[in-house]
Amino acid sequence: MQVKKEVRQIAREMLRVSFTDGQLDRGRIGSVVDSLLAKKPRNYLKIVEYYKRLLRLEAEKRHARIETAAPLDPETASQISLNLGRRYGADLTTEFAVDPGLLGGMRIRVGSDVWDSSVRNRLERLQQQL
Amino acid sequence: MSSILEEIETKIAGLKTSTTKSNVGIVRETGDGVARIEGLSDVMLNEMIEFPGGVYGLALNLEETEVGAILLGDATKISEGDEAKTTGRLLSVPVGKALLGRVVNTLGEPLDGKGEIKSDTFYPLEKIAPGVIKRRSVSQPVQTGIMAIDAMIPIGRGQRELIIGDRATGKTTICVDSIISQARLNKAAENARDKDYRPLYCIYVAIGQKNSNVARVLAVLEKEGAMPYTTILSATASDSATNQYLAPFAGAAMGEWFMDNGMDALIIYDDLSKHAVAYRQVSLVLKRPSGREAYPGDVFYLHSRLLERAARVSDEYGGGSVTALPIIETQAGDVSAYIPTNVISITDGQIYLETDLFYQGVRPAISVGLSVSRVGSAAQIKAIKQVAGKVKLDLAQFRELAAFAQFGSDLDTATKARLDRGQRIVELFKQKQYNPISVEEQVSVMWAMQNGYIDSVPVERVKEFQLKLQDWLQTRKEPMLRAIREKKQLDQDLESQLKSVLEEFKTTWQ
Repeated sequence: MQVKKEVRQIAREMLRVSFTDGQLDRGRIGSVVDSLLAKKPRNYLKIVEYYKRLLRLEAEKRHARIETAAPLDPETASQISLNLGRRYGADLTTEFAVDPGLLGGMRIRVGSDVWDSSVRNRLERLQQQL
Repeated sequence: MSSILEEIETKIAGLKTSTTKSNVGIVRETGDGVARIEGLSDVMLNEMIEFPGGVYGLALNLEETEVGAILLGDATKISEGDEAKTTGRLLSVPVGKALLGRVVNTLGEPLDGKGEIKSDTFYPLEKIAPGVIKRRSVSQPVQTGIMAIDAMIPIGRGQRELIIGDRATGKTTICVDSIISQARLNKAAENARDKDYRPLYCIYVAIGQKNSNVARVLAVLEKEGAMPYTTILSATASDSATNQYLAPFAGAAMGEWFMDNGMDALIIYDDLSKHAVAYRQVSLVLKRPSGREAYPGDVFYLHSRLLERAARVSDEYGGGSVTALPIIETQAGDVSAYIPTNVISITDGQIYLETDLFYQGVRPAISVGLSVSRVGSAAQIKAIKQVAGKVKLDLAQFRELAAFAQFGSDLDTATKARLDRGQRIVELFKQKQYNPISVEEQVSVMWAMQNGYIDSVPVERVKEFQLKLQDWLQTRKEPMLRAIREKKQLDQDLESQLKSVLEEFKTTWQ
């Protein structure tokens, strides 16, 4: 997506003011968008689009998706959430999903980091090495 | 005790479960051999990116939220939403002697159906050229076997000599001739068990050429027995722009292996105009800003970093070398276009081929006035210097006088002699394709010319005289040729031998 430099700069500035104490603040995001829409500067729709994208990427960095082949018991799940929270900060949100395609093991994705201990991954690696 | 056992158990369990950490991104856009990937926060420039289905890409654009990657292999297998991950590796190609005699693609995979290439050494495509400390000056010749080049525009090992000219002026032929000449010299040295001779291995990199052209070059090299010393790297017009852009770098990596191991290599980039066009396509599709003639701003750096990798390294580093012969195709003889001027300024000289000369029958159609070699004369053997020292001047004066002499028939004897000499030199420098002449024969023929043995031969029979003389020298006067080859200079003894030999030949010639 080709975005104008000016649009990028404004969107980035909007993202910068959307934080309170290092965390995304819903109230601030709302007011920032409202004030932009009230002023309607040039390319304001593109700015909102780009801002939305930056927000999505920012939210993804603070969101963990844990995939397992079979459903986890609540105790393990809360243990995993706790451990991830310790590593990435307390504001990390977690999401649990079941993907039988993994065959076994677990796959955790936070932002663009992936920890993969699934059987599928190991089989794929084995296939590559062979 | 039981706690220790438990600890060991957990350690073993830890070893068994192999968790891998990777950095991933999601393909947002793909097309034209390029993918835009969101995520990949830890990716490095020029790092290989793995896509599902075993397709790889190369990260070229690192942006705020996206990564632009060019795709190697089948781009149609990739679709939006696919997960791409970093590999932490740089793109590398197999190198080594196993590649000699083979036809490979940009990734070093065989195209000739002769089975897999067994090589356990890999070199990265992009490598920083040897620095000042590692280098030494050019001092050994590359005998191209083309008399006009070896006499007037000599090329040394480690030099970068541009071959420039319009389409169909014999640019590729000069390079193929050089490869054949190297193969003959290598073979002769092998047969004679000459330990001092440094074989020169050749790499022919075809960029954006027609498949039929590459097949023809291959057929010629096979027929002339040059393939055992040659690798052909083919990225033809039907390959992706990515492969065409990377091909010369892969060729340079293959050549560098020879240099690093104390051997000599000759690389031919055929041709860099098409390489610049492929890079322009990649850059435009990646939405990089374009500059003059829509080429990206770093097209000069693209060629300068490639040609800078041609070098002669000093003896402490093995004394190997990489010689580069880039080819540039001009449009209607325009050397002042963007890419030709760039490459002219990067290289250590150029051989300029002219369409007019080509159609006049002067083949190779080398324009003496516009062709230069800035470092090669240091690499000429002494014998050639002795006989060819003044040839370039003679020819230049001849061209001047020939234009002048058209207007009048009354010429003084000195001018007439100069014109006659010039016409005969032009005749001598005409040479059939795929027919390199050994250096000792070149010396003999030019000595004959310098000492007036050819002056009495009619101009239209000069070529016949030369061929007969070469034939006669090969069959009858082998010892003298060998003496020239070994001594590498003409002393009084050799000169008197040459004199008697030529007088003997003149008596048989009618």
